[in-house]
Amino acid sequence: MTFEPKILGILCNWCSYTGADLAGTSRIKYSPNVRVVRVMCSGRVDPTFILKAFADGADGVLVAGCHPGDCHYIEGNYKTIRRVALLKRMLSDYGIEPERFRLEWVSAGEGDRWAQVVNKITEDVRKLGPAKIKRFGASSPRFLDRQDSKAQGPKTA
Amino acid sequence: MAKLKLASYWAAACGGCDVAILDVHEKILDIAAAADIIFWPIALDFKYADVEAMPDGNIDVTLFHGAVRNSENEHLAKLLRAKSKVMVAFGSCAHMGGIPGLANLFTREEIFKRVYQETPSTVNPEKIEPQPKLTVPEGDITIPEMYDTVKTLNQVVDVDYYVPGCPPTPKQIWNVVQVIVSGQLPPKGAVVGASEKTQCDECTRKKQEKKITRFKRIATAQPDPESCFLEQGFLCMGPVTRGGCETRCQLSGVGCRGCYGPPPNVLDQGAKALSAIASIIEAKEEAEVQKIIDDIPDPLRSFNRFGIPMSLITRKVI
Amino acid sequence: MKRISIDPITRLEGHGKIDIFLADDGSVANCYFQVPELRGFEKFVEGMPIEEIPRVVSRICGV
Repeated sequence: MTFEPKILGILCNWCSYTGADLAGTSRIKYSPNVRVVRVMCSGRVDPTFILKAFADGADGVLVAGCHPGDCHYIEGNYKTIRRVALLKRMLSDYGIEPERFRLEWVSAGEGDRWAQVVNKITEDVRKLGPAKIKRFGASSPRFLDRQDSKAQGPKTA
Repeated sequence: MAKLKLASYWAAACGGCDVAILDVHEKILDIAAAADIIFWPIALDFKYADVEAMPDGNIDVTLFHGAVRNSENEHLAKLLRAKSKVMVAFGSCAHMGGIPGLANLFTREEIFKRVYQETPSTVNPEKIEPQPKLTVPEGDITIPEMYDTVKTLNQVVDVDYYVPGCPPTPKQIWNVVQVIVSGQLPPKGAVVGASEKTQCDECTRKKQEKKITRFKRIATAQPDPESCFLEQGFLCMGPVTRGGCETRCQLSGVGCRGCYGPPPNVLDQGAKALSAIASIIEAKEEAEVQKIIDDIPDPLRSFNRFGIPMSLITRKVI
Repeated sequence: MKRISIDPITRLEGHGKIDIFLADDGSVANCYFQVPELRGFEKFVEGMPIEEIPRVVSRICGV
């Protein structure tokens, strides 16, 4: 049985979500592996979302926004560029392969491009296999993370 | 009024939290008047067997410091939890993993190899590494099993309160003691001995507009003593760190390193630090942004100095 | 052979355990000092910027 990656997609309302919608209404066939969450702007994407997605079992994360210069809120996607650049370094320090996390610009008219973006990240993550990031909680039987442990949400303190 | 029974125990710790307790100076006499300390390895000669012999719930409050990184730490965390009415995660290590938590970016094998074979002053031609059990002519002797992963106290047992800091300041420790002695305990799970706001609220440095065009390091540049570190391009975790320590680092000429932990409702201090610092970079193009952030030498550990085990990803993937 | 275990050793910084084995006449046949802790500072400071090192390795011993 081939591995089907679970990829979280966080899409901005104005450009990329509309572009993804267009892919749908145009009946384009593409990989079904990206689960989409809509936000108003890619600049709203907190790095916590991406880390939490990996911690909760995502194999990949895709953030999509308007092309630079086209942001509905003018400057939002510039913040995204800065945060993503720094987050990529942090993810690689954690040992998470760079292909698992992508930032892409998809405009409202780019249904084809959306399909291509999804296919590409799905195949890249499929080649890498499941992300071996396992959270553990107080009920975990062993500490050694090589074993399977029951993932639990983090306790905030 | 019966004296309170207190315990203070260290797991993967350095002793700094115990020293901080003693740094209340003459107030230690007030503590001794209000409480009997019935287990305190740094200062008193009680043994593990003494704790095992106690009835459950015998200890009123245990201040547990140090991270959990081997089977002995885990055993004592569970033992003290059973024997205590209130369990406090005291100091950064128990709260968030602390400095020992940085070992989560490596494996046990890598650590053993470095410590017992590769370090320049080590002579170990037979490549002997620790094992939990060794059979000697007289019998078996044992040491704890070291785990791959460092855990925070609340990842092992139920924790009632958290006192952050590396170490917590003596002033805050005294505040915490007064709360304990008064019996007016806050709701379970609260962080005590710290502010509900960030460091920036207490910091007296001048704040103007934040636009970073270049990052600097205190190893190679001198910060201006009056203005905000971030505005000058020096890393400071102030915006994502709880206040309560009276900005002791900022007053000493360096940016906050985050030891008081994340402010309320923040799941991952490192992620928030990254987000805040990235937001104030003054650049719009990817190449320009990349050039600016290349000057940050060690992002994961800089943003998550004390809290890697508490962070969302917890450890480097193995 | 009688065995006396001192666990933990106290009133010093650090963790330790001592196992003393006594011969039948009460003299010490052998004694083992065990260090039940390792945090791995030697490894995890690798790759850190130089200005961090004094502030991290000071946590080897807070006393």
